[in-house]
Amino acid sequence: MWKTLTLATTALALVACSGNKSDEAPADIAATPESTAPDGATPGYSAERNAYFGDMHIHTRNSFDAYIFNVRRDADDAYRFAKGETIKHPSGFDMTIAGGPLDFYTVTDHAEYLGVLPAMNSKSSPLSELPRSKDMFSTDPAKIQAAFQGVGASVRSGDKIEEMYDEPLIDSVWGQNIAAAEKYNEPGVFTTFSAYEFTSVTTPDDNGGFGGGNLHRNVFFRGEAPDRAFSTLDSTNPEDLWDWMDAQRAEGRESIAIPHNSNVSDGQMFRLETYNGDPLDAAYADQRNRNEPLVEITQVKGTSETHPDLSPNDEWANFEIYDELLASNIVSKTKGSYVREAYRNGLKLQEEQGFDPFRFGMTAASDSHVAGGAYAETDFWSKIGIVDGLPFQRGSVPMPGITDWADQPDNQTTKNAKHWFSRWSASGLTGVWAEENTRDAIFDAFRRKETFATTGPRMKVRFFGGFGYTADTLNATDLAKQAYAGGVAMGGDLVGTGEAPRFIAWAIRDANSAPLQRVQVVKVTSSGEAVYDAACSGGANPDANHRCPDNGSSVDITTCTTADGSGAGELKALWTDPDFVPGQRATYYVRVLENPTCRWSTWEANRNGTPPNPDLPTTIQERAYTSPIWYIPPA
Amino acid sequence: MRQLLREPLVHFVIVALLVFAGHAAWTAHVAARDGTITVTQEDMQRMAALYASESGVLPSPEDMAAMVSDQIRDEALSREARRLELDAGDTIIERRLAQKMSFMVSDLADTPVPDETTLRAWYDAHPDAYTAPPNVTFEHVFLSTDATTDADTTTLLNTLNAPSPPDWHTLGDPFILQRAYGDLPFRETVRLLGTDFATALFALDAGDAWQGPVRSALGLHLVHLIAKDDGSLRPFEEVRSRVEADWRDDALRTANETAIANIIKRYKVRIEGAE
Repeated sequence: MWKTLTLATTALALVACSGNKSDEAPADIAATPESTAPDGATPGYSAERNAYFGDMHIHTRNSFDAYIFNVRRDADDAYRFAKGETIKHPSGFDMTIAGGPLDFYTVTDHAEYLGVLPAMNSKSSPLSELPRSKDMFSTDPAKIQAAFQGVGASVRSGDKIEEMYDEPLIDSVWGQNIAAAEKYNEPGVFTTFSAYEFTSVTTPDDNGGFGGGNLHRNVFFRGEAPDRAFSTLDSTNPEDLWDWMDAQRAEGRESIAIPHNSNVSDGQMFRLETYNGDPLDAAYADQRNRNEPLVEITQVKGTSETHPDLSPNDEWANFEIYDELLASNIVSKTKGSYVREAYRNGLKLQEEQGFDPFRFGMTAASDSHVAGGAYAETDFWSKIGIVDGLPFQRGSVPMPGITDWADQPDNQTTKNAKHWFSRWSASGLTGVWAEENTRDAIFDAFRRKETFATTGPRMKVRFFGGFGYTADTLNATDLAKQAYAGGVAMGGDLVGTGEAPRFIAWAIRDANSAPLQRVQVVKVTSSGEAVYDAACSGGANPDANHRCPDNGSSVDITTCTTADGSGAGELKALWTDPDFVPGQRATYYVRVLENPTCRWSTWEANRNGTPPNPDLPTTIQERAYTSPIWYIPPA
Repeated sequence: MRQLLREPLVHFVIVALLVFAGHAAWTAHVAARDGTITVTQEDMQRMAALYASESGVLPSPEDMAAMVSDQIRDEALSREARRLELDAGDTIIERRLAQKMSFMVSDLADTPVPDETTLRAWYDAHPDAYTAPPNVTFEHVFLSTDATTDADTTTLLNTLNAPSPPDWHTLGDPFILQRAYGDLPFRETVRLLGTDFATALFALDAGDAWQGPVRSALGLHLVHLIAKDDGSLRPFEEVRSRVEADWRDDALRTANETAIANIIKRYKVRIEGAE
């Protein structure tokens, strides 16, 4: 905190006689940049790094499922949307991005049968003559369902439907997505990557459909992309994907894969065995960490940080939990499905066997299948086109013509809404700290894991760990510079010296969203976890249980208006672990909580003039998660 | 299902007729030489049924019109690709070309080289595109509101404006983003510091003196507004290459649309129920 003017006046005297200030730019030069930008840097370059926001997970008409959801927008439309233009939702309304244009955006259509469904629905394509095509685009819902399920089953099993697998067509559509990414990439303004989704799904019993444990990954390329995308029709085993990525890397095509929806992976995403059930080893961990330095922790289909059953002492663990396997009503296994538990198991493996395959940083995305992400509670359109595009389809309001939830009928629409769509989220965005908005700078930030995930709002959060930080560091006007110089940023390893590390957690609100309530540090070790409030709004101090007092904010559910209480624009803390054990590995990450606001379902109910769905939470506490800092004890 | 569809189809027919009225020129050019694209009742029922089975609601007339027009466009382009025998031969290249027919159309279309007069006319007709957005160059000293009083702010402002002030970099609280911005457009200012701050900052006059405090959602800012550009039309000479690129883009797009429309004209389009 700023300490009155006496300090400033003292500073005047100090500056006058201080020798080490000579590198400071003279005060009278106009808008002196605080750091020198290298040649060729784009405007806005900062050595202390800027926060950029984006979504690395977007589908268009060329995804086999999106086309069936009546999505007709393509990669061009997707990028135009991210840059602030308005595009159409398949249900007929306009979609405009909340909070202004994004800094980066990436189309990740499913590689499996990429662009094949549009061809099956075009009479000029020989593919449209297939019996499956005639069924898929027939008038008989049972036939449509069966044909579509058959495609899903093929994606899952990896068994090609030979007559549908038109490789030249698939490669050509992949080429179109690459061309669109190239077209919209604009250094300094807007970054895109060539990317796709690898759609691996496991299932214990062959139900003939797509349902199963989600092992999906999005693969994106730093620069040049290969001519074809490795899909589950090549192999359903993610380790084979990593082999392919390694081979591409050896030829100069660098990439990263980001797994997502571990929450519905049926315990498979962070299983303590290989895909084929062999024990994990150091080579597996190396390969996984090299190819998957990041994980997607929140998106429309729920949040994967942790689950109340895994974190009974975390009062905020029950957040946007969604746990039914894709396209089914089977509840996903909890163990092996959540990120915090994976951090813990990783440390355990490290201590017992000398390797940790789960050293990932955090990202978030929408997984929109309509080319444009719905990030705001106030303006939500969910993600699967005409299936969940309208409020009654997603259970925020009763079926048309009904005003009382007691009269809600039991039909397929209400069943889907109850099990799936009503529990989906207006989430999320990835933040990165990068010097500038270019492919190289953003990709490097991903590699460094200097990333944070938000559930939609664009709050910004920095997190540093070191040994020399003091209260003065926290108040120094060049705090970020000192923090980088004296420690590691989020995503880094902090190698111990024997003394307790000091952490700087620093967050600012999104001016378009709610003020901040608290900043927390989550600590994970091989033997447990703990959540500490590190900074409280209103300048309050956490109590003996490391909890902030109530900050007096409130939400009026009937109007969605809020009272801010002492909610903060900025929260900052120098934090030391009160339970630090010098010889024990620990993974620390920051969680930032906003004041509560109305959930999307409440906004929609109010607009409809009907009561909120009694089965749903009425409010939400939007949040951000940083990539961890891994504390490694001295050797 | 059939029964359900009856009513929206009636709606659709009305919309379709309106669409066709707007395409009088198109229908006048209908030539049977390359065949007919027929959108049958069954096609439309199929589209509607698919839509209904997925969404749980029947498509609106606008939805139907959009689906039909997408269908005609795709069909005409892919038939044209086949007519040009882009699907013949056995090389992947040819098949890729077939997939990129609409892209090819724009390559084939003639785009004349613009002369100076054409470009100036384009520039004159699109002043908004060549007007630099309002932008500011400023430095700011941030004061976290928690511990700041009015007296603090006033004293600090006086210090900054004193005859020989201390280096402003050393004053105030640390700021999580940058403390000096050059040529920052209004929209970016809003994104970084919120609407209230941006509006207040852009209302100040540029000058040597430190001003404020200006409030943002994050705290208070004393600002040195070094320069403010209200956004002026940039001279033609300065933006000539962009004007040319924009003109060419538009010319290509128009040529592309015309070429596609010409391809569609080669087919007789028949939408059952709309005749």
